[in-house]
Amino acid sequence: MATMTQHKIVFTGPPGAGKTTAIAMLSDIPPALTDVRNTDASLGKEHTTVGLDFGQVDLGNGQCVRLFGTPGQLRFDFMWRIVATDALGLVILIDNTRPDPLDDFSTYLDAYMDLLPTINCAVGVGRTGECPLPTVDQFGGLLAARGLAFPVLPVDVRRREDVLMLVDTVLIQAEMRT
Amino acid sequence: MSTLNTTLSEHARQAAQTLFAEVDGARAVVIATADGFDIAHTGHHAIDPARLAAMVSSISALGTAASRETGIGTPRYLVIESSEGRLVVRCMQVQDQALIVVVLTDKSVTLGLVWSHLSKAERLMNAA
Repeated sequence: MATMTQHKIVFTGPPGAGKTTAIAMLSDIPPALTDVRNTDASLGKEHTTVGLDFGQVDLGNGQCVRLFGTPGQLRFDFMWRIVATDALGLVILIDNTRPDPLDDFSTYLDAYMDLLPTINCAVGVGRTGECPLPTVDQFGGLLAARGLAFPVLPVDVRRREDVLMLVDTVLIQAEMRT
Repeated sequence: MSTLNTTLSEHARQAAQTLFAEVDGARAVVIATADGFDIAHTGHHAIDPARLAAMVSSISALGTAASRETGIGTPRYLVIESSEGRLVVRCMQVQDQALIVVVLTDKSVTLGLVWSHLSKAERLMNAA
């Protein structure tokens, strides 16, 4: 009987970075969402995730990935660690149109600082067409300054292949560690 | 920063005070928006109301997702029964705004009485 290997990958990042969209794009099942009506005008969106997102994708080679998403706002930082428990990898999504994407990135690097030396991680920078700065290299530089080196990729989370590339990047790192 | 109207915030403040006064054994009351902003709080227990508001927002949303997943409708109450007390969470709709009210109580408090007071608070806020 064929066995299925299950992995857990967590999508995190600031509000509006596309975590819920990324999971919906990749998931084989209708995602479990915890969206509520947003009352924070500064976010500029109607709904926001306050609990977690969950989806699942069968990669077709005996591997199944469970996809979890965190809420983005700092007030939900307690969920960031709860959701990341026992994860194989982390995908940090950044929205380059936000006021200070490098500061957003630093927030998440700080939040997961103790996990990052050992966890598999990929960074996806979105909306680089609208806002080319900061560059992918600048995000890489921020990682290097902390003694970290993870792939940083420009992505459009509305494209399934882009989200799959992020997941693949995490899985390849995991494979190389074994 | 939440953009709730000030009238609703004032009604929430009054409701929190009334709940705290009427629920025997209540240690704290926090009223939050569904997206986790503290709009009213009172009590004598040392809590961070902003943090508790965010936490009950997550708990409520997870309760809603689990209810949806299992086809049991819309959650009204969620209870965290701990060794030294309870968190009684009520999801309510007030003037087209989803609110979450949480009462932190002693373990001796009768749950049904807390539910009854929470229902009354919802009625009063909607009637105001």
